[in-house]
Amino acid sequence: MSSKGERGAAAGGEPKVVVRNLWKVFGPHAQRVLAAIKSGHAQESVAVEFGHVIAVRDATFSVQPGEIFVIMGLSGSGKSTLVRCISRLIEPTGGYIAVDGAEVTAMDAAQLMQLRRHTMSMVFQHFGLFPHRTVLQNAAYGLEVQGMPLAQREARAREMLELVGLAGWAGSRPQHLSGGMQQRVGLARALAVDPAVLLCDEPFSALDPLIRRDMQDELLRLQQMMHKTILFITHDFLEALKLGDRIAIMKDGRLVQVGTPEEIVSHPAGDYVREFTRDAPRAKVITARSLAQPRAGVDAPAVPASTRLEELLQRMAAGQTQLSVCEDDGTLLGVVDQAAVLRALAGAAPR
Amino acid sequence: MAERRARRWLALCAGAAAAVLLGVHFVGVGFGPFPLEWNIGLRQPIDGFQSWVIGNRSTHPIFILVFGPFSAFVDWGLRAAEDILLWLPWPVSVWLFAVLAWHAANWRITLLTVGGLFFMGLMGLWEQSMQTLALMLVAVSLSLLVSVPLGILAARHAHLQQVLRPILDLMQTMPAFVYLIPVLLFFGVARVPSVVATMIYAIPPGIRLTELGLRQVSPTVVEAARAFGATRRQLLWHVQLPLALPAIMAGVNQTIMMALSIVIIAALIGAGGLGREVLVALQRLQVGRALEAGLAVVMLAIIMDRISGALADQPTDLRAADANSEPSAERPLWQRARIMVPLVAGLLLVACLLAGVQNFPAAVRVPLYQPVDAAVAWMRDNLYRIGDSGWGSGPLSDFITIRMLDPLRALFAHGLAWPVQVALAVCAGAALSGFPLALQAGLGLFAIGLLGMWELAMDTVSQVVVAVVISILMAVPLGIWAARNSLVDALLRPILDTLQTIPSFVFLVPVIMLFNVGRVPGVIASVLYALPPGIRLTTLGLRQVNDEVREAARAFGSSSWQQLTKVELPLALPSILLGINQVIMMVLAMVVISGLVAAPGWGWKR
Ligand SMILES: Nc1ncnc2c1ncn2[C@@H]1O[C@H](COP(=O)(O)OP(=O)(O)OP(=O)(O)O)[C@@H](O)[C@H]1O
Ligand SMILES: [Mg+2]
Repeated sequence: MSSKGERGAAAGGEPKVVVRNLWKVFGPHAQRVLAAIKSGHAQESVAVEFGHVIAVRDATFSVQPGEIFVIMGLSGSGKSTLVRCISRLIEPTGGYIAVDGAEVTAMDAAQLMQLRRHTMSMVFQHFGLFPHRTVLQNAAYGLEVQGMPLAQREARAREMLELVGLAGWAGSRPQHLSGGMQQRVGLARALAVDPAVLLCDEPFSALDPLIRRDMQDELLRLQQMMHKTILFITHDFLEALKLGDRIAIMKDGRLVQVGTPEEIVSHPAGDYVREFTRDAPRAKVITARSLAQPRAGVDAPAVPASTRLEELLQRMAAGQTQLSVCEDDGTLLGVVDQAAVLRALAGAAPR
Repeated sequence: MAERRARRWLALCAGAAAAVLLGVHFVGVGFGPFPLEWNIGLRQPIDGFQSWVIGNRSTHPIFILVFGPFSAFVDWGLRAAEDILLWLPWPVSVWLFAVLAWHAANWRITLLTVGGLFFMGLMGLWEQSMQTLALMLVAVSLSLLVSVPLGILAARHAHLQQVLRPILDLMQTMPAFVYLIPVLLFFGVARVPSVVATMIYAIPPGIRLTELGLRQVSPTVVEAARAFGATRRQLLWHVQLPLALPAIMAGVNQTIMMALSIVIIAALIGAGGLGREVLVALQRLQVGRALEAGLAVVMLAIIMDRISGALADQPTDLRAADANSEPSAERPLWQRARIMVPLVAGLLLVACLLAGVQNFPAAVRVPLYQPVDAAVAWMRDNLYRIGDSGWGSGPLSDFITIRMLDPLRALFAHGLAWPVQVALAVCAGAALSGFPLALQAGLGLFAIGLLGMWELAMDTVSQVVVAVVISILMAVPLGIWAARNSLVDALLRPILDTLQTIPSFVFLVPVIMLFNVGRVPGVIASVLYALPPGIRLTTLGLRQVNDEVREAARAFGSSSWQQLTKVELPLALPSILLGINQVIMMVLAMVVISGLVAAPGWGWKR
């Protein structure tokens, strides 16, 4: 939790993954339906009537290197489809995708295979482990299809198993492991190929709450060591807040808001998003930065802009009425007073 | 789904009743049985074709280039397999089979295998058994050579699958008699036709199960492999085939069983071995001998079923495990086994060859046929008519003939208007399995009329109806009884097992002894054949009723009868209906066979 804010600021430079105007229509005449919708000719209800599903609509976003980008939305909102389009496990109907500047949407089969073998890896909701292979052979699979010799790939896979805390389980069958352990195997398998981009489709949703928390912490720990670019899907808003440097919220195939957890909690775009934020632990998400109101000449104790609401609350409880908010370099951003803190806590939009 | 099925059946019954009334009415108006003038006489062209084939067999390119080489190849394989199996001294064969059973399964199946082989020897059927085994091995390997690759292709190409499915349906539902003649014509070398006929029968389950196994591989796992950049070939070899292996092995098992079930029929067109033994004994009405050979077929079936079934049941888990993760302490043992097996086999072989042992010693012969023949003779003499009581199998046979079969045949052949009967066939087809069968049934019946076989067909139909009614009247109550009384269940189970595994011919024989040649033995044999699934599915349906529901019924104070009729039977209905469906299918399958032996009807006139 604590380290996240720093990484979040790592933005800037070339984005790792770029998605522009991505569409996915399922159905027999997907292309035609898309063209008609884009030109405004077709009634969507008509397309749907003829067996088409518009799973992703005009999605545009980019992910910075080292960022955890969370895509969050209710069931059926198109999250899985979106993330599979990025590695073209599902063929996008329209739009542009690039990874490291290479246009994925223009790749031929061979290039695509190289991309999947070396650049991207995936972790699945129901683990997707191979039941006929040992844990070790599972972890080594990505290297095996790369063509790495046996001894070398098994050594590497063992390293990964050690990293996720499964060193003693190499010879077991995955189905004899608990859910949490299975997903660790899934993680090890994905990390073994040292991918630049990690796609995670609800990797922790099938786990029970305590294990899930462990795994979230595990992911953050690993991320601190490896600095991967991660696209992480979840339908759990709290998970999104905990893991995400930025969060994209999806509804009916559309990205309705993209922003940092704080932006989303403090400025939800519309009722759909606000509904999610209702139970959010505001005190942990909102920072002084978004509460600071520009006011000059106030003499109050200074706090860093990244100070969380919960800490501000403590200071106020200890008798402070006002605090001035400063950037790390000392620039004054503004002032927070008791009223602003209380309003933020209650969920009202800051003025 | 189940409810829809039940409703479909109700609709069928109501429709059938209405149609019968209507049909009787039409006959009154003069709309009778299928018009004889419509007979298109297919006989002549077929006979013409037959003489063409016979005339051109040695000259036409299709025979020289296609059927000829294939026949030669199969014949060569068959001869080779037979020569080897007959040359191997019997102790070596027993040892090899035992090792195979031990490796695939456990000591019990090993014991069963050894016991079964000894049985064949003791019955004086060693040679015939090995001949049948050779036929099986060749037919099964050829079938798998075709079916597994086709199954893989079908799983990958939806188009191919769509083309294949109706062909497979046809291959499996067509009675073997239909294609025996053409097969005989085309592959007329010695025992090749029997291999081909067996293949036609045994290929479909191999294709189906391979395809099913591949399709059933979890999509998540497939997607995972794709996500890591596996090529199509890697996907197939790394993931799909290993995971489909149990299903493919089940397909192998089914292939073997299908092949064995056609052994006796194959004997009709020249296969030797056990099938021929059964057939010859039947024709001479030597019940004991037929039973011996029949039991040997059963033994062979059980051995091959258990061994291949055990291979199919091995969890994928263990299969791939030993190479990598087994503790190394066990390795020497396995390696030792690898040396021991051929070593012992080799030593045995040399010893036997030196001692001149090859075929099972003829002197060691257990005459099982004697008591059987005696029992059959006794039954014929004493049960046909028991004293002067007016009871016995003779009077029963008369009753079934005079009171049931004759009136029904008269009704079907002359009492109902033919369009109504075609409509009835369509309805029955729809109720049994849906639109395709309905269409087949309707068209089939119409075609029968066109071929001028209406009356013969109606004779068969009357037998089917009687057999089905008797089967259902027995199966459902017995099934209910077995479900509620575990003692009855325990007693019934081995009987049902036997009835289902014994080749259908075998129990025709005692039935003929008891009831004389005629239509009744066919009906009774069909009933015996069809009872097991009816009873089984009724029991199963009742057993599957949720305990909580049953408890709820009791908690509200229902009597045992109320519990049965108000709760259990309605809930078990889908399963019971499936049982009835199976009964009808089994009776239909059996009628052709029994006709061959006893009843006039289709069997005779194929
Ligand atoms: N192969 C397909 N063919 C047709 N429609 C599909 C297909 N796959 C997904 N859909 C539809 O696309 C929409 C989005 O599905 P998707 O699986 O991406 O949702 P999701 O957000 O991942 O949901 P969940 O949280 O349940 O996994 C759904 O309406 C789904 O029914
Ligand atoms: Mg999903």
